[in-house]
Amino acid sequence: MNLLDALELLNRPIAEPVSVREVILECGFTPVYLKTFLAAHLRLCLPKHRIEMRTGLYGDLAGDLERVQLSDRSVVCVVLEWADLDPRLGIRSLGGWRSMDIPDIVDSARRQSERLTHLIRQLADSASVCVCTPTLPLPPIFTTRGDQAHHHECQLREIAASLAASLSSCRRVKFLNLQRLDELSPLGRRFDAKAEITSGSPYSLEHASKVAELLAVLIRDSPPKKGLITDLDDTLWAGILGEVGVQGISWDMAGHAHMHGLYQQFLASLASAGVLLAVASKNDPALVEQALGRTDILLSRDSLFPLEAHWGPKSESVGRILETWNIAAGDVIFIDDSPMEVAEVRAAFPEIGCVEFPKSDYQGIWDLIKELRDCFGKGIVTREDEIRLHSIRAVSPVKNSLQERGLGVEDFLRNSGATVTFCLGTDARDNRAFELINKTNQFNLNGKRFSESEWVSFFRDPTAFLLAASYEDKYGPLGKIAVVMGKITGHKLYVTSWVMSCRAFSRRIEHQCLKYLFEKLDAEEIVFDYEATPRNGPLQDFFTASFGEPPVPALSIRKADFDVKVPALFHQVLEVASV
Amino acid sequence: MSEQEDRLARCFASVFPALTPEEIRAASIESVAAWDSLRAVTLVGVIQQEFAVNIDPLDLPELNSFEALRSYLGLNDITGRSEA
Repeated sequence: MNLLDALELLNRPIAEPVSVREVILECGFTPVYLKTFLAAHLRLCLPKHRIEMRTGLYGDLAGDLERVQLSDRSVVCVVLEWADLDPRLGIRSLGGWRSMDIPDIVDSARRQSERLTHLIRQLADSASVCVCTPTLPLPPIFTTRGDQAHHHECQLREIAASLAASLSSCRRVKFLNLQRLDELSPLGRRFDAKAEITSGSPYSLEHASKVAELLAVLIRDSPPKKGLITDLDDTLWAGILGEVGVQGISWDMAGHAHMHGLYQQFLASLASAGVLLAVASKNDPALVEQALGRTDILLSRDSLFPLEAHWGPKSESVGRILETWNIAAGDVIFIDDSPMEVAEVRAAFPEIGCVEFPKSDYQGIWDLIKELRDCFGKGIVTREDEIRLHSIRAVSPVKNSLQERGLGVEDFLRNSGATVTFCLGTDARDNRAFELINKTNQFNLNGKRFSESEWVSFFRDPTAFLLAASYEDKYGPLGKIAVVMGKITGHKLYVTSWVMSCRAFSRRIEHQCLKYLFEKLDAEEIVFDYEATPRNGPLQDFFTASFGEPPVPALSIRKADFDVKVPALFHQVLEVASV
Repeated sequence: MSEQEDRLARCFASVFPALTPEEIRAASIESVAAWDSLRAVTLVGVIQQEFAVNIDPLDLPELNSFEALRSYLGLNDITGRSEA
């Protein structure tokens, strides 16, 4: 994006902004171009939000971080440069570059880095903070030639890396990945000496745009995809199983198929982080089982569920997989080496991300793996991620068995030995609750998402409550799967958000949540901040089925009415201080 | 009106969106209240990128109107367009 495009984009009115995001850009230099580019890239990333931007004072990053005033809509972007660690590392200060000055510069940079680390950590208690560590080349202050790294230069880089390492474990701190920036913005074209001297703005326009683009993506923090459906022949492995047999397919160097091994290894990594993996292959199912049972395969057979191996259309396989996973097509990537199969699935499910596997193209497969990491990447891996596939796999045959035996949901629930564990409180540090609220689509009261600062701010209100529910039955644990939050006024509850994982549908956990709230909080009435969204049909169905009418905004349910209409609940209910 | 002048007007419009086309062509640091140091830096940046020129900081004090910038760009025989 060039500067003219950015300015023209910002001059266009926003069509019906749905909310306001406040972005506080903190840097020690004049952020004139960076601010413009960041606002423009945020307009592209968050087209329905009105972005309000604030910046600090020139040359006093640490002071700005101490003074910053946060609101519950704030996101803070801290863009560090070397001169923020010591002004002598910039070119506007003439404080001396003599060899005897350099150890002092290093010491001073270390102290300043520790101070900034402390300040950023403090900010992260209340707001989401995006941090960019120094991106500009160090000035030529060292006694070695430019092609030889000096000891002090290495120390300065270690200081910046230590700051990142120290803060990277904070949940609300996100670091811009300098490796990605290196790919987009060549180091030699980042620094603009003239702009730095004349206006205190050291970034070239091109570099400012790239830094802003990556910061905007960090701020947007889009939810990751949830599932990947892969083909087998010439995708998960090289060769056509039906033609070359189980021992003829390969994924190693000897078979000139190492990139397929890399793809398997990457899928195993996704599975370990809770991504659902399934197979859609036109193949002989018995042969497929034998192939997946090979001891040298890098992706465990258990990681793949469901496995659709037959000669029917792939779109039908994909439909059944989505039904089993119970997730939306838009949350899934489909990968197949055949352009025809990709086209067929795309026609049937336009929302699925369909990718043609670039077989025989080493670089193409490498680029695909990097692209997939972007699709599925997440900040933290929770216990729920680890057990997700197990819970889906455990319940699926049970449902089929019940249907075959003509038994209904009542029998299933009565015999499932279910336990719902509630945790009622106001703990804003509940990562899983925050994640559920921000990624659940189907059983979602209103689709409302929270920034980190809005989340923290909400629970500062003494009338606020947060109810988290975990579930387990004889088929295994589902982990924390439901969250209700709102405010209490006397005997009346205002539920502002309510979400439940799609894995937990049809177990009457939602009824148990309401029953618990009515009883535990001695409520006579619950008012729901309901709003229809394009994807919250399952929540609408719940209200319609339970209370006889489709939900409406400000829907209210009285305890007396609930007690009459609640179906039989078979769960054992436990309470804990933290789930 | 030349294509180059239109491009310059577009640069001005991006920095001073409230100005009409007529006001842009008559714009100067005296006539446009919003022409402060920050917008001056932005205007120079957008012109440098759009016209692929490197404006000498010593020339900046003289480049204080649309007409002055038009003349400057003409004198420097600018015909190219910056890369996107």
